[in-house]
Amino acid sequence: MYLFKKKSIYVYLLTSLVVIMISFAYIKANYLTTNRDTKIPPESVKYEIVNKDEYELLHETNTLIYYYREDRDVIMIKDKRSGYTWKTGLDIPFGSDISQAVLEAETLEEKLEIAIPQEDRMNTTYTGMANSIITVEYDEEGAIKFVSSASKDYAESELYTLNDNPSTRMLAVKFTNIELELKVYITFEEDSIIYEVRDEDLQGKGRNKILSLSITPFLGASGGTEKYYNPETDMYDIIKKKYMAPGYIFVPDGSGSLIRFNDNSASFSMYYGDVYGEDLAQSTYYNSRLTDAIPLKNPVMPVFGVAHGNKQAAFVAYADSAAEYMQIAVRPEENLTSYNYVYPRFVYNTNYFQIFNKKADGFFTLMKEPNKMDIKLTYSFLAGDGSNGNYPADYTGMALKFRNHLISKGVLTETDKVDSDIPLRLDFIMADSKKGIVGNEETVVTNVNEAKEILTDVIENKKITNINVGLHGWQKGGESLSKPYQTKFSRNIGTKNKFKTLIKEFSDKSVDISFARNYIDINRQAISYQNNAVRHVNSWYLDVNKRKVLPENSPVFNFGYATPKKSIKWFNKQLDRFSDISTSMTVSGISNVLLSNYNRDKVDITVTDAIALYEESFKKANEKTKLNFENPNMYLWKYTDRYLQAPIGTSQYVYETDAVPFLQMVLSGTMEVYAPYSNFSFYTQSDILKMIDYNISPSFILSSKPSHLLSSTTSADLYSTEYFNYENLIEEVYSKVNDSLRHVIAYRWIGRDVLENGIIRNIYINDDKEIEIIINYTDSIFNYKGNSIDPLSASTIKDGEVQ
Amino acid sequence: MKKNVKALVAFIALLTLMMPTLSLSASQATSYTYVLNEKGYLNRTQDAYLPDKTISDLELMSPEDLFVDKDNILYIADSGNRRIVKYSIDKGIVVGLLEYEDFMNPRGVFVTKKGDIYVADPTAKKVFQFDKEFNILNSYGKPDSPNFSETPFEPLRVAVDNIGNIYIVSEGVYNGVIQLAYSGEFLGYFTVNKTRLSFAQSIQNYIFTRAQLANLVPRVPTTFSNIFIDNAGIVYTTTMGKNFDGIKKHNTAGGNMFKEEAWGGWGSLTDVYVDSQGLIYTSCNDGYIEVFSSAGEFIFEFGSYVFDLDVSGLYSNLPTIAVDNNGNIWTADGEKGYLQSFKPTDYALMVYGAMGLYEEGLYEESLDKWNEVLRLNQMSVLAHNGVGKSYLHAQLYEDAMEHFKVAGNREYYSEAFWEVRNNWIQGKLELFIMIIVLLWITIKIFKYFDKNKKINKLLKNIKKKIYNITIIHDVLFSFKIPKHPIDKYYEIRVFREGSTVGATIIYLITFVAYIAYKTSKGFIYQYKAVEDMDINAIIIGFIAIITLFVICNYLVTSINDGDGNFKQVYMIPAYGLIPVIISMISITISSHYLTYNEAFILDVILYIGVIWTIIVIFLGFQTVHDYSFKETIISFILTAVFMVIAAVMALIIIIMGDQLFEFIKSIVKEMAQNVFI
Repeated sequence: MYLFKKKSIYVYLLTSLVVIMISFAYIKANYLTTNRDTKIPPESVKYEIVNKDEYELLHETNTLIYYYREDRDVIMIKDKRSGYTWKTGLDIPFGSDISQAVLEAETLEEKLEIAIPQEDRMNTTYTGMANSIITVEYDEEGAIKFVSSASKDYAESELYTLNDNPSTRMLAVKFTNIELELKVYITFEEDSIIYEVRDEDLQGKGRNKILSLSITPFLGASGGTEKYYNPETDMYDIIKKKYMAPGYIFVPDGSGSLIRFNDNSASFSMYYGDVYGEDLAQSTYYNSRLTDAIPLKNPVMPVFGVAHGNKQAAFVAYADSAAEYMQIAVRPEENLTSYNYVYPRFVYNTNYFQIFNKKADGFFTLMKEPNKMDIKLTYSFLAGDGSNGNYPADYTGMALKFRNHLISKGVLTETDKVDSDIPLRLDFIMADSKKGIVGNEETVVTNVNEAKEILTDVIENKKITNINVGLHGWQKGGESLSKPYQTKFSRNIGTKNKFKTLIKEFSDKSVDISFARNYIDINRQAISYQNNAVRHVNSWYLDVNKRKVLPENSPVFNFGYATPKKSIKWFNKQLDRFSDISTSMTVSGISNVLLSNYNRDKVDITVTDAIALYEESFKKANEKTKLNFENPNMYLWKYTDRYLQAPIGTSQYVYETDAVPFLQMVLSGTMEVYAPYSNFSFYTQSDILKMIDYNISPSFILSSKPSHLLSSTTSADLYSTEYFNYENLIEEVYSKVNDSLRHVIAYRWIGRDVLENGIIRNIYINDDKEIEIIINYTDSIFNYKGNSIDPLSASTIKDGEVQ
Repeated sequence: MKKNVKALVAFIALLTLMMPTLSLSASQATSYTYVLNEKGYLNRTQDAYLPDKTISDLELMSPEDLFVDKDNILYIADSGNRRIVKYSIDKGIVVGLLEYEDFMNPRGVFVTKKGDIYVADPTAKKVFQFDKEFNILNSYGKPDSPNFSETPFEPLRVAVDNIGNIYIVSEGVYNGVIQLAYSGEFLGYFTVNKTRLSFAQSIQNYIFTRAQLANLVPRVPTTFSNIFIDNAGIVYTTTMGKNFDGIKKHNTAGGNMFKEEAWGGWGSLTDVYVDSQGLIYTSCNDGYIEVFSSAGEFIFEFGSYVFDLDVSGLYSNLPTIAVDNNGNIWTADGEKGYLQSFKPTDYALMVYGAMGLYEEGLYEESLDKWNEVLRLNQMSVLAHNGVGKSYLHAQLYEDAMEHFKVAGNREYYSEAFWEVRNNWIQGKLELFIMIIVLLWITIKIFKYFDKNKKINKLLKNIKKKIYNITIIHDVLFSFKIPKHPIDKYYEIRVFREGSTVGATIIYLITFVAYIAYKTSKGFIYQYKAVEDMDINAIIIGFIAIITLFVICNYLVTSINDGDGNFKQVYMIPAYGLIPVIISMISITISSHYLTYNEAFILDVILYIGVIWTIIVIFLGFQTVHDYSFKETIISFILTAVFMVIAAVMALIIIIMGDQLFEFIKSIVKEMAQNVFI
């Protein structure tokens, strides 16, 4: 009897367990995505054969056929691979012309005959822009206006053939209202169009009025509404939505962001991505202020794209020249028009606030000297799912195409790595300064001996050997209040000899230790601004107020920027001084900030020249030392051995729908790429999975003493660094990421799919060997090719077997 | 058998706990998360919440208020569209639209446990009550009670308690929260904010006539911005404007249950919501979201104000907040009309978990959780306090002290320190007595052997020799002054004693003692750390005040027939400073050994020192200048007036000098640019 009862308990227990499990599984089966995930691909796009009546054939290659419509300045590109047709403009008539004709028609029949649908929410200016190859934004007494090559008035354009070669053309445009003439050189290649606008070809008085130049702004636009004629009211008052092609815009926001075409119900603000970050010396005001909002991420590469449908048709656009003046602009649906579209905007001039007295009164004005640039922009067209050896027509195809382009240009070089484990980045924060009784007081949280102990522990007890290290705040007084070129050591942190021994000892264990320094952020407590700091075009020193994000008792709140020349000088000085100690340098600041500099109102160095200066110096430096850059802009990639703090995800604009590892796909196999510090909100299981998904190595910043000692310094944002607290987490994060990624070290990353919401498949190949990594972000088991993948885990599958 | 069932239940519960927890797509927020540090400043910490869902396809227009019912249905007061939208959070779809013909601008919504929906509409001047099926049950217009006749009735927000009493925040009502019975009868004002007068207003009150006061803008209390009633029937209110009313948790009589101000007045609060654990969530109009414990302790703040930038989790206008049954925060953007939810990270859940365990009295379990929190943020005051209190309960006083010190919790530190000191004293009591006895014996023995006082004389000689060194003599002379100020100052007057060098050394000693007193007291009494002080101001202030005083006093006394010359005026204050120096030093030292209980001892020492010094210096001036009591007082008052004038003059000169310098600089620059080139 008792036994029976006991049994019944077990039965009861089992049933209830099953019930709980099922209900749990049911609730959790549905993985809810956010804009930090990549979602399942968009639906297929429906498309028909396009009427070519008004078009003349320009050129045909094996892949594309190019047509042109003279009256509207529209180039049509037919992709032979997919049959999909792209138009550089919307190819729409001017609404006012139709309305006028309808008004003038006498009978209802006549009216009905000529009353073709009109674009809704498109005035004459926007209709011109929507068709145009080139649109100019100019300033007219403080007001911003637009005129385009396809404008109804004030624009004459003519397409010429160059050298009798149908693949090289030139569009000559004359804007009569602003007295500007310009030439756009157009080259039709196998699968891409190249546009070039040279500085010398911008002629006329209008040169000093133009603010920016946009190329084919409506290429790939999706959405739109149309107005239909209503015979009852004799007005265009029937509004219908046009077919919105499913798909997305890709922008290089952070690691990469998709903005799916969406019918929004609110007018959201635009996305402006300043390639390489905004040139603050040319921004509206000389001063700015940090807020509690995490700063938006800047594109580190001049690339964007559009995909229509699910791996059907796409293009990727990239600038080979004038990238430093390029802005990637996205107008989400409902913002002015009912289209979603993306376009490159090349900035020639800005309205800035010129101050004329000490009280900082002033007025808005244009720069006297507009920026000079030779634009070269390529649109490459992608088609199909990649099965026939092409690049697939989605963001992965865009990344692979762009990567290939950079390799062919020598910006990236594929490495042939043989490591058996992925690398781990361990940075140390050694010291910083806080206010003291007399002057400032050095607060040391890690000295050389302690760093040594920690590293020894990691190598010997945690058995992690592929490590590289950056030392932050190694100078006397720590980082923020020491001069950027300073090479003095402090006894409390470690003498030069101690550092030397440390670095030598670990280089024997093939652990690379480098001095880290930010060469651009300066403050008046550390160094005089005279001849050192960047001046705004209004001739004031740039000023960033960080009071809001620094502790209230911070020794300093206002920061400026070092000029490019000085940054490089200081870097070289330290490089020379330390070349006998370390064979590696960690550089932040100049890696990610690009500024011009002004003397009075004359430009001292332009961003173009600054890039050249950086390239020249880092090229030389890279010959004798390894360079570790913090989130470097593309022009430094050639000299980058380690890419630190690679962005994960996007700035999270509300209309950004997906985050994708575009940057990581481009960089994969060409350099070591590291995640942001796991110390700060990047340590959970799904973050570990994200490192695997994005193919990046973990990094930590450590101290020996508790981090609260830094709470009165400018390093107070390092609120959690003590090694004691992190030793287990380092081991856990590293081993989990390494278990998956070590299999693909010598492999090429060729594909990434979303199998289901929350399930990602990354495909890597090496010759004919293929490895798949399946990442399961969900809370339920996922079955893939006979393997079951646990919730919140990743599996590496080679030859159908889990590794 | 019963035991077995219990075990079974426990087992199942355990298994349920072991099931995979909710996934956390951590890694990035769009604003920093802050906690308060031990000094009351905001400090950055791990992300507490991450933007989760952005729902922009509901076509909302000026959404004003949110409410989540027990079935996880979100009710949205979609004021611009004159409707209430019922949105299922679990299914992600709209499950009902409450559109009622009398709605004009529905801005507040509340749902009772029974499922009745209350809607406040200020334009319709009514509160409507609907049942679950959207059938109108009641509409409450302006109460006809004579007490209410003059007051406008424009209901903005509404809440209903478990008995059915209705609480209404009405636009333009300064009298407080309107409370109606279920029948619609006016019960009175539930709670009211106090009128707070600014300094200028207080002065106006004092000097203005009644007629003048009547002409001024009426001084009315700040109005409430929102009201909420939690599951237990407790009423919470928020108040508009940057003031100290902020957020309040009310007892049944309407009083505030928070002992301290829960909210420091960073922005203007728009809404409050309370979850089942009693955590309080508030929204600010400038886009900040704050979380408080049920006792009103600040836990987190995140969010930020942005202008014309649509980034998830940042706002240009944040009118409302609600929390669903899974602990996710829901907000609505007032301008763009989209919903934004936030998911707590495991860090936030850990903090809440630890707090919950502590409140339940499970100190050991909460200690583990708090230690986890500390691992992720060593600067967490909440965690250090939590760990400290748990240690205090476990009688691990020294560990507790360490954590209270980091947390800046002087009260509890003092409590723990008292225990430690007590133990120490008890342990060392015998040793103490032994030492005292030994000392006594040594002295006796010494005196017995040194009958001829040879050694004694030798010591006295050495003492005398040292004393005769002029400078030392000049300095040590000051020790004689506190006892016989009049006699000894007379000696200064007739130039028999004292010197400027001696006075300078005493000033320096005072300065050192003062800095030590300011910066080096024991933790309990050192309220401000060195890095938080403006040391330059202290140093300059110290020197400036003494210099000014000496100069001004000399000038004043020269006209007023004072006998003292400048040298003497400089020396008088210095020689009177000994009592205050001794008191500052002894406070600095003893503050390391005293707890809060003995605070009065330090106060007494300081008072004695300061008062004694003042008396001595007063007498000094009287003696040296040969003044009567009255004359001395007058000379002091005049000195003070002169000091103010001199300070103002100095300021003017500095500012003018700066401008002059700039002027000359620009002339030189102009010349350099135009003349020489």
